[in-house]
Amino acid sequence: MPIGSSTLSVRPDTARRTGNGKPRRARAERFAPYILVAPAVLIIVALRLYPLVRGVNFSFTGDGVLNGQLVGLDNYMTLFDDPLFRQAMRNVALLVLLLPVAVAIPGLLATFIYLRVPGHRLYRVVYFFPAVLSPVIVGAIFNLLLAYGGPFNTLLGAIGLGPVDWLGDRRVAMFTVVGVHVWATFGMALVVFLAGFATLNSSLLDAARVDGASLAQEIWHVIIPGLARTIQFVFVTTMIGMLTAMFGLLFVMTNGGPEGSTYLPEYYIWIQQGQMNRPALASAASAVLFVVMLVVGLLQISVLRRSGRED
Amino acid sequence: MKQRALWSAVVVSGLALAGCGAASDSGSTSGDAEGGDGEGRLVVWDWKSGDESAATYIEQAKADFAEKHPNVEVEFVAQPFDQYYTLLGGAIQTGSGPDVILFNGGGQIRDRADSLVPLDDYLAEDQDRLAGWDAFTEDGQIYAAPVTLQGHPIYYNRALYEQAGLDPDNPAATWDEFVSNCESITDATGATCFALGNQEGIGIEFFLSALGSAVLSPQEYDDWIAGDRDWSSPNVKRIFELWTEVDDAGLNSEAPNSTAMFNDSFAIFQSGEASHVIGLMSDVGHWKDFSEFLGAENVGVMQAPVVEQGAAPNLPYDGGIGYAVAEWTSDPELAADLVRSLTSTAALEAFFADAGAIAADTTIDASSAGPSVATIIAELENGRPALHVALSSETLELMGRLSQQLLSGSATVDEAVEQLAASDQAG
Repeated sequence: MPIGSSTLSVRPDTARRTGNGKPRRARAERFAPYILVAPAVLIIVALRLYPLVRGVNFSFTGDGVLNGQLVGLDNYMTLFDDPLFRQAMRNVALLVLLLPVAVAIPGLLATFIYLRVPGHRLYRVVYFFPAVLSPVIVGAIFNLLLAYGGPFNTLLGAIGLGPVDWLGDRRVAMFTVVGVHVWATFGMALVVFLAGFATLNSSLLDAARVDGASLAQEIWHVIIPGLARTIQFVFVTTMIGMLTAMFGLLFVMTNGGPEGSTYLPEYYIWIQQGQMNRPALASAASAVLFVVMLVVGLLQISVLRRSGRED
Repeated sequence: MKQRALWSAVVVSGLALAGCGAASDSGSTSGDAEGGDGEGRLVVWDWKSGDESAATYIEQAKADFAEKHPNVEVEFVAQPFDQYYTLLGGAIQTGSGPDVILFNGGGQIRDRADSLVPLDDYLAEDQDRLAGWDAFTEDGQIYAAPVTLQGHPIYYNRALYEQAGLDPDNPAATWDEFVSNCESITDATGATCFALGNQEGIGIEFFLSALGSAVLSPQEYDDWIAGDRDWSSPNVKRIFELWTEVDDAGLNSEAPNSTAMFNDSFAIFQSGEASHVIGLMSDVGHWKDFSEFLGAENVGVMQAPVVEQGAAPNLPYDGGIGYAVAEWTSDPELAADLVRSLTSTAALEAFFADAGAIAADTTIDASSAGPSVATIIAELENGRPALHVALSSETLELMGRLSQQLLSGSATVDEAVEQLAASDQAG
């Protein structure tokens, strides 16, 4: 509430000046804060709030012949009746469940780099490299690698394991895409972890070593507690990345298939708006995605606040 | 108090502005064209004009239009096909954008017919010369003029037939014979019977249309096209059973659910790893692409082998792509004239020559283009609209997903046709 608080701080000052008989200047000063915040407020209202309200408004209207007519909650009923949308929401839940893995991988690799395993400088560069590739390129590369007759399955065949249809089996495809997404993005989380390590008190680690702690004990009792805030931050950013940045990979690698098993809300919205010509239904799906993101965002704020209080 | 009042004002004005909203704009606004015979500008949206193979076609059409309207500027905007209908959806929502729009026939144009101008009066003279109007017709009115014909011939590799000791001039006429030919080819050459890519869920559409006429009776076929579709009839079920049987019998190339039709499955056929592929007639996945790799003399087109007694196989085809006029254009007559230029004989001749697309103009001579084109042209006369084109985009999307489930075994044919019937009746 920037407008309210600035008004309060200015008001006593304004009153005194008015008493001194300078009404014009006083009025200017009374409006000054409004004028100063006006650009920011206008931008937020015009480019954020207004489209948001319009979008929610659209979600209560119909498509096709019902275009522009209010249909109440029909679109939302259609959504939750649609097995495809339910699958998309289930996949969101799956992403949340896979989140610890997606955070643990860069965390563990950063720990090894921090503990200076042989070649750690090289690994630092190599791990970050995929983060600069666009999802489309990453998707195209893995399409080739993971093709049924592709090199990955040939490799598996060489060690006596049967070929896996990585992108064509509904039980496997979502894990494959998440795996590729983690591969492509963990470099960024790794950098954040390394930054966190820079603030870690190394004398604690030395003390643990003197006391004869094993590597596992060092990680569990010293490194993880010391990095609590960094870990929380990486959790939140990885979650947002998974929910909002996987469209490119899905588009290139699976088209939401096989059998709709890799649909995410974003992809569903795109299909309904672009391919099915049902913008109102897409608006309803967007509104649901917005609520999901709002919940994630509020959780994020509460987590960050709590970790801030600990300091 | 002041603060609360301000926020209420913001919210109320927001709602007031949004109160009369609609997800797509139904009102009309003026387009870019001005004046019928005066000066002006027409904007065309497509996904073709950027292709080298369409360059001469576009030039011819532009020249034809410039003769009639020398002062009108025409701008072609080539959009990426992947996002074409998304971008178009945006234009339709705002009620402004291109004056002339390229469409795929069938569901894509029918779903958007209320944003287009009926062209019956403007195109009356072209109705005999061009073929494939049905795909651009909704409720008896024509919304676009066909440029190409799109259909689904069964292409086969004549060289593989010869290697297996079969006569490439006499492909199988019945399904049993076809399967036994495929087995001989696989034994002799290692090539699978069909190159299938179903990652996008389009494989089933091609399969349904290419083999449908070999399963359904002519009466059932007509009823289907007319909108009277009995999904629980034994013959309709038979098509979907055939789809699973073909895969179970190992006739398809491997892992179809993770193979993209465009263009991985066509690449399998082109490399001789499969003896048949259900392809297209238009400008991709068609005789010209295949001929470049296999040689025109080795590419054959066969009629669908009869699966059920009483069926009368034919070539399924419709209008492939066609140009429509947006409802918001300021001078529909001028825009319709551009559509006529884009479907003139000279322009379409160029498109056939450069891109290999089977053009909608029945007066073009294509006799010199090899055996596959000769077969296609010969079959055009008895051809019927394709079965899948009659379905809505929702039903097609569902059918794509169900076809993947049928291949993986996670749905039965009965479940599939039941869901399709529900979707078809809802749409």
